[in-house]
Amino acid sequence: MREAVHVERPYFLGTLREWLFTTDHKKIGILYFVTSFVFFLVAGLFGLVIRLEQAVPGMQVVDFKTYNYLLTGHGAVMLLWWAIAAHIGGFGNFLLPLMIGAKDVAFPRLNALSWWAFFGASVLVLLTLLPGNHIRMMWTGYPPYALNNDAGITALYVFIIHLVGVSSIATAVNFLVTYLTMRAPGYTFFKTNMFVHTLIAANVIQLVGVPSLAGAVTMLLLDKYLGTNFFNPAKGGDPLIYQNVFWFYSHPVVYVQVLPIFGFFSEIVPTFARRPLFGYPTMIFAVWGITALSFIVWIHHMFVSGVPNWIRVLMSYTTLLIAVPTGVKIFNWMGTLYRGSIHFRSQMLYALGGIFMFLIGGLTGLPNAMVALDLGISDSLFVVGHFHYVLGMAVTLGILGAIIHWFPLATGKYYPENLGKLSFWFVFAGANIFYFFQMVVGILGNPRRYPDYPPIPEWATLHMVQTIGALILGVGVAIFTYGVIKGLTSGEQAPENPWKSPSLEWKVGTPARAHGHGDHPPKVEPDWHPYRYDKEEYFKG
Amino acid sequence: MEQAIALPYKWWAQALTVWFIVSVVIYLIVAVPGIYFLFKYRYKPGEREIGDHDVEGHWGLEIAWTIIPTLIVIALATYSFAVFKKQRTVPDGAMTIKVTAFMWGWQFDYLDNNGKVIKTVVTGYHANDYNLKDFEKPVIPAGKPVRVLLTSMDVIHSFFVHPARITEDAVPGRTTYLWFQINKPGEYWVFCREYCGTGHSHMFTKLKVVPPEQFTAWLYGKKAVAIKSN
Repeated sequence: MREAVHVERPYFLGTLREWLFTTDHKKIGILYFVTSFVFFLVAGLFGLVIRLEQAVPGMQVVDFKTYNYLLTGHGAVMLLWWAIAAHIGGFGNFLLPLMIGAKDVAFPRLNALSWWAFFGASVLVLLTLLPGNHIRMMWTGYPPYALNNDAGITALYVFIIHLVGVSSIATAVNFLVTYLTMRAPGYTFFKTNMFVHTLIAANVIQLVGVPSLAGAVTMLLLDKYLGTNFFNPAKGGDPLIYQNVFWFYSHPVVYVQVLPIFGFFSEIVPTFARRPLFGYPTMIFAVWGITALSFIVWIHHMFVSGVPNWIRVLMSYTTLLIAVPTGVKIFNWMGTLYRGSIHFRSQMLYALGGIFMFLIGGLTGLPNAMVALDLGISDSLFVVGHFHYVLGMAVTLGILGAIIHWFPLATGKYYPENLGKLSFWFVFAGANIFYFFQMVVGILGNPRRYPDYPPIPEWATLHMVQTIGALILGVGVAIFTYGVIKGLTSGEQAPENPWKSPSLEWKVGTPARAHGHGDHPPKVEPDWHPYRYDKEEYFKG
Repeated sequence: MEQAIALPYKWWAQALTVWFIVSVVIYLIVAVPGIYFLFKYRYKPGEREIGDHDVEGHWGLEIAWTIIPTLIVIALATYSFAVFKKQRTVPDGAMTIKVTAFMWGWQFDYLDNNGKVIKTVVTGYHANDYNLKDFEKPVIPAGKPVRVLLTSMDVIHSFFVHPARITEDAVPGRTTYLWFQINKPGEYWVFCREYCGTGHSHMFTKLKVVPPEQFTAWLYGKKAVAIKSN
């Protein structure tokens, strides 16, 4: 510890120049997160328009083409800007060095490059807002449709993916090297925070998978503009090549999106149950089990695409097996609650809500994995409802909870507790009404990506119910956002280590000191563990 | 239900019921204790200041909740395999219709045993409503299995027979297949389920299911007028 007598300026009070040229992981984390959150709000509004359009049969709000643009934007932005950038770019950057007791990431300038590539992609996304630039190929960009002029500018889609890909690969390398080489002495594999374990696993997937996605969209670019025929059956190509290469990454990517959320749950639940994470070693094996299995299940996205029957059956088995390590994680969180001393702070509500909804998300994933059932529900709104339980609820509740949890570390202030609780109940109730009935209408047969649907009475009723749920959800997100602004401007000052956690990120003060752990890694005692609360300093209320 | 309204819907619906029961049971087994713990182990000042630090895991329990779910999912996958086999095995004696998808409609070619086209029906694009003229509706016999050979003229589409709950993509350059059987005469929806652009949600048709004698009369009667109404 340096015995400095001067008052250090908080890291966030940098000049504009400092922010633009920064290589500080905290500033980069904040830049990522703010971008991510703004895009989340915009894509959420897109979602609301999409939902209002479907409230009753017929076209009332937008036309088909605008709807297809909004849906493409909603999907791509929520997946890449929210469900990846928020916790990997945002929380990952901010927390990884602080949690493992390092000064910064291994390659700070590469980290800045990651951010600027991501920023470039963000600018391209904003360009699609101009009417002539609308892209309508959905986030999946399947050829031959993506090569058709009806789909919009193929190159814009491809370059967005390329820039995000560059950013992701650089971040993945950076985080892996940081974890492997810069841990504080004593901070071993079996004392690593679950958030760090999940972050590393997610970045292994990124490193292995992103090149595959980049390859898929590059072939798209070549086919469209340079006359190659990768996907053109008339010249010996095959559109299904794209789907295989695309899903080889884009299925594992759902674990990139959800694993760090498991990390958040695993940080928040023990902290507010005041009890060590149950089954910590099996949690780690579960993370790596999921990571390994995630690469051998992708055909479940192609169960009705015309691939041979045997591969569908094989990947039906592998997909269902992923439920096992995922289930282990849920059981362990329940075990953590057992004999705890549970405090219902708002981030704990968000984490618990996220876990219980993830359980539904997991169980409604089973019929998508059971190939016989999938033949009847593939590409229906059931699938959409299912993955919104996972992404729209588990992931979003996890990130919102994490914002509240680490708000003091980033800003020095508390997120307003009453707004945290209020927003939680709105988000939780609204999202459940919305996504549950979305699954029901899907079981009844309503296809996905439909701006309009035939006036079947049950469908119309269910769409109206969903729309009401979506509006409640929207109110919840608005309250939450107001809470962020209120917390920043007039939040209550937080003391050092406000949640009484032994985890190392809380040893750098609130807000985090400009140089974090500095050149002197924190001392990690032999009996230290990130989830052990029985020492006097953590024990006191 | 004496006779199922459609195949493979019957088996699909049974499998859905099995999944639903299994899921509800699993949900209750996990969520009920979880919620009980939330109430029972609430923080109580002076009485329960800190959680238990002795039990950080339980190997027996952890092995059990790894092995039992593994057995459950293997059982579900195997059951699904058995159903899938029935869904994908076309019964002997099925009649064949070749369906060619395009943006945004369908062409139905009724084939005889030698693969020769007997009759053609085309459903065109109706951007503003879900109403079809009679000549645009493909007709099939009630209670007879129908094999559909699928392909596409432009982008990928998907042929979803709503009452039978069966889908297969129509991929350009490939011929895919599915089969179904509808037992009750009436009119039933068919939708495109693979995103195919502006007209995707209006790429549909209505299957007209009629008694077999009536179907034969229709098939060998006067040619349907194929009109693409744009």
